[in-house]
Amino acid sequence: MAGVTLDPLAETGNGSGGSLPKRRRAGSGGGNLWVYLIALIVVAITVGPVLYGAMGGFRTNAQLADKPAGLPDPWVWSNYAGVLSNPSFWQYALNSTMIAIITTVVTVVFGLMAAYPLARYQFRGREALFMVFVLGLLFPAAVAIIPLFIIITRNLHMANTWWGVALPQAAFALPMTVVILRPFLMALPKELEEAALIDGAGRISVFWRVLMPLSAPGMITVGVLAFVTSWNAYLLPLLLLQDQMRTLPLGVADFSTEHSADTAGVLAFTTLAMIPALVLFLAFQRRLVSGLQGAVKG
Amino acid sequence: MTHDVTEPAAAASGHATSDARRTGAVRRAPGGPAGTGSAGPNRRGDDWRKRLEILVFVTPALALIALFVAWPIVTAVRFSVYDWKGFGDLTDFVGLENYAEVLGDEVFRSAVGHNMVIVVGSILLQLPLGVAIALLLNRKMRGQGLLRTIIFVPYVLAEVIAAVVWLQLLQPQYGFIDAVTAQIGLTPPEQGWLGTPEYALWIVLLVLTWKYLGLAVLLFLAGMQGVSEELHEAAQLDGASWWQTQWRITIPLLGPTMRTWAFLSMIGSIQCFDMIWVLTQGGPADATATMATYLIDEGTKRHNYGIAGAASVILFVIAFAMALAYQVLILRRDTQDDTQRYTRAESALFGALSRKRKAA
Amino acid sequence: MSRKTQALAALCAGLMIAATGCGSSGDSGGDDNTIIWWHNSNNDPGKGYYEQVAKDFEKANPGVDVKVQAFAHEDMLTKLDAAFQSGDPEQIPDVYMERGGGELADHVEAGLTKDLSEDASDEIDMIGGSVAGWQVDGKTYALPFSIGVVGFWYNKDLFAKAGITTAPTTMEDFYAAVDKLKAAGIQPVSVGAKDAWPAAHYYYWTAVRECSEDVLTSAVKSLDFSDACFEKAGDDLVDIVAKKPFNNGFLSTGAQEGPTSASGLLATGKVAMELAGHWEPGVMQGITEDKKGLGDKTGWFAFPQIEGGQGDPAAQMGGGDAWAVSEGAPDASVDFVKYLLSTDVQTGFAKNGMGLPTNPDATGALTDPALADLIKVRDSAPYVQLYFDTAFGQSVGGAMNDAIVNVFAGKGSAADIVKATQAAADKEK
Repeated sequence: MAGVTLDPLAETGNGSGGSLPKRRRAGSGGGNLWVYLIALIVVAITVGPVLYGAMGGFRTNAQLADKPAGLPDPWVWSNYAGVLSNPSFWQYALNSTMIAIITTVVTVVFGLMAAYPLARYQFRGREALFMVFVLGLLFPAAVAIIPLFIIITRNLHMANTWWGVALPQAAFALPMTVVILRPFLMALPKELEEAALIDGAGRISVFWRVLMPLSAPGMITVGVLAFVTSWNAYLLPLLLLQDQMRTLPLGVADFSTEHSADTAGVLAFTTLAMIPALVLFLAFQRRLVSGLQGAVKG
Repeated sequence: MTHDVTEPAAAASGHATSDARRTGAVRRAPGGPAGTGSAGPNRRGDDWRKRLEILVFVTPALALIALFVAWPIVTAVRFSVYDWKGFGDLTDFVGLENYAEVLGDEVFRSAVGHNMVIVVGSILLQLPLGVAIALLLNRKMRGQGLLRTIIFVPYVLAEVIAAVVWLQLLQPQYGFIDAVTAQIGLTPPEQGWLGTPEYALWIVLLVLTWKYLGLAVLLFLAGMQGVSEELHEAAQLDGASWWQTQWRITIPLLGPTMRTWAFLSMIGSIQCFDMIWVLTQGGPADATATMATYLIDEGTKRHNYGIAGAASVILFVIAFAMALAYQVLILRRDTQDDTQRYTRAESALFGALSRKRKAA
Repeated sequence: MSRKTQALAALCAGLMIAATGCGSSGDSGGDDNTIIWWHNSNNDPGKGYYEQVAKDFEKANPGVDVKVQAFAHEDMLTKLDAAFQSGDPEQIPDVYMERGGGELADHVEAGLTKDLSEDASDEIDMIGGSVAGWQVDGKTYALPFSIGVVGFWYNKDLFAKAGITTAPTTMEDFYAAVDKLKAAGIQPVSVGAKDAWPAAHYYYWTAVRECSEDVLTSAVKSLDFSDACFEKAGDDLVDIVAKKPFNNGFLSTGAQEGPTSASGLLATGKVAMELAGHWEPGVMQGITEDKKGLGDKTGWFAFPQIEGGQGDPAAQMGGGDAWAVSEGAPDASVDFVKYLLSTDVQTGFAKNGMGLPTNPDATGALTDPALADLIKVRDSAPYVQLYFDTAFGQSVGGAMNDAIVNVFAGKGSAADIVKATQAAADKEK
């Protein structure tokens, strides 16, 4: 099995500096004018479209139609106020939040549990087992969406519930989680665990008491990825959720057909719907980088 | 906000993983985890216990995957050998006819071609851009945190939401992009950017690049953090310019990260769906159809679930073959010259260090 | 290994129990006195009106509970398909919309839809010949509540500005109008080719003009497209496209969402006309900020006559929506559907401009002058050909629509349309 192991992320040693202390790089010519210029262009291209959406929410439809490239003039608050005073918006936000939290917790806990033996134990079929997770990466959810729907509604009777959406989402997030967490765990020092084992602690209690806290950065990485993916999911929630159970992306789609004339309102709704995932991602952005480090480090 | 916690981990990782890798091929005696002194006299009991532990750890994840990934996929495979309209029982067994039909369908064949364009195009565009931006963001400069933050924004957006915004921007004649094109004196295409079959795929590729460049930058930054400061400083003391340092040290050391990223990017490109569905629905005249839009179109729109099932199996086989080829041709190389590279980097490091000391 | 499998199985079972325990859906679709009703009027006034209709029915039938669920049209179709695929009675609504044709035939074949021939015979008689689209083997499975026809909606002001005094009746008139509009700097026609079906309507119409009623009727049954009129209709389409009457970017223009869709372009005076169904005034009202659409500038003319065509000049092409009751729905559902076709409900439906009612007693209640004119056209037509993609079923229709869009994109010929359609049809036989 080893010959065909798909092990893309278990990148190996690289002289990452041994035990040398690290400092943030003090760049040589950092701060050159041209650097800022390039940075500015990159920023404009990256956030331009997003800002366009957010700004559009502050304009009237007439302004949008008249000058697609203009700035709000005057600034209109009614679009955002309208969305925020819409009780459905808050109900959708609650559903999105709960589904994302369940997805995240299940993904992180189950993913870490699965990655642990793959990183720490030596056993026959280990690479084959890891291969199962890597194979999982190759399936787009769209391939199986109809059978998935049938199974969830008919066999499990979980349609229109938070769990009915969250559990399959977690299942599809698990392969990536394991693939990221395994090398991360491999990179953790074994000494603490070994000490605990020698002290007579069981493997499972070592896992909860020693490994979980140590893996926090890795868990944050996969957790944020799982949360954001769940927050943005569209197809599965569309099939499974109705009425008051719907999530924000469904709300966006619904709002944009229901108020198709109201482009500005749609832009306001869209902007507000993306904020929570954005804030969460940005808050953890640095930890994300360090969490991925183990997985991809070169 | 500090990431110090991971630093020792990162430091150890190289050794830990390469150890595991080097010894992985060697068949290990059953027993406790490598090197933990648990290989006592009661080897049998230990063995049994170890298996149980592994089972306890792995089962929840495997059960979820079996239930929500494997089972539906097996069902899809079953659909693929029936002529099924979506209602009632599977009765009309057609064998491999659906497969023959999918493979014979020009639309599907062109869809495979479009997927390949996206696979190759994404890598060719995002790799240099991603490395360049990651190098830029890795420099110490004012507003660096903000910059890093901003670059990830598109990646966090739902594809559906991003596509809705781009659709507004790319609106023929009345959209922002056309307004700008006209203002600088160029004539936008008569059919609009997404409406012209010759341009549509390239526009989609650009939007995808915009959306996913953040991921490349994120991974490259993570990879760069593993590159030692001392290496850089030493190289600079050696008189190397910033560019030379990056070119000779950072970029070569980023190799494995790049290959890993390319793998993920490839898998994503093969499955590309949401964005295209909202932007063009695979049109105009199938100019942006991908394997995934093809199978959704056949399934949910035309109710040819057998055809859709066959197309999804073919999609998987292609993805699998590419992943395998990539593994064999490119990723394996990492493991092979791992030792060599490691030594090279290490000697460079020590060499640099000694020079640095001298300079000090 | 077996131990492992056992443990896995046990965990799976445990997981399922936990999962069902978590299921919180309280309402059961199988309830004897609860009618689950899905419709696609998710804008006011339609949405509010239907809620009122449900309340009135509940009042008149104590103990019956009508659960109304309004969806965006596309979402409703997706969910309906999924519900039927699941075969789960709890997922399938009791009263839902059927578009007729091949799709209905599939549903009937799978035993999903109730035969209403006996229970609703009075309503079927009242509606008359239009129910034909919702019949399979002589039995009626749904009651059409709105049937419309597709024609050109135009902006009277822009026509006047271009110096067009009378609405075109022949292809020559139509081309002359296109030239005049272009000369006046006005984009003549918008079409939402991104969504395929608006473009496909052009071919359906040229085929209705070229083919006799007999040929069309037998094609629906035999799925045989060898009659020369089908390719001739394709040639007509190629001619129309070659005239370049369409808005810039029509291949990436959507049908009716937002001001830059085909309907939006007409509603905001950016183009002079659009080929669309009876829903167009309503859609345009929804898209404009003053909720008036084109207002009294709205004009309508039938698809131009094609010289030498075999079709009846007064024939129309269109389609509609019908209420169907799913197999296994509570008995009260049939009463509810009959109530939906009653003069009271249909009159309110007409007053709110939600469509063209099929109950003859309600047609007078149409307040929108454009729709009032249109219903006269519909009622005087010798026959209304159902949209091909509905009549032939989604598989054949989808293939046909794609081939038609290819012609719009300049990537296919008339023969290609017939070839692609026939190939898809042969698979159905």
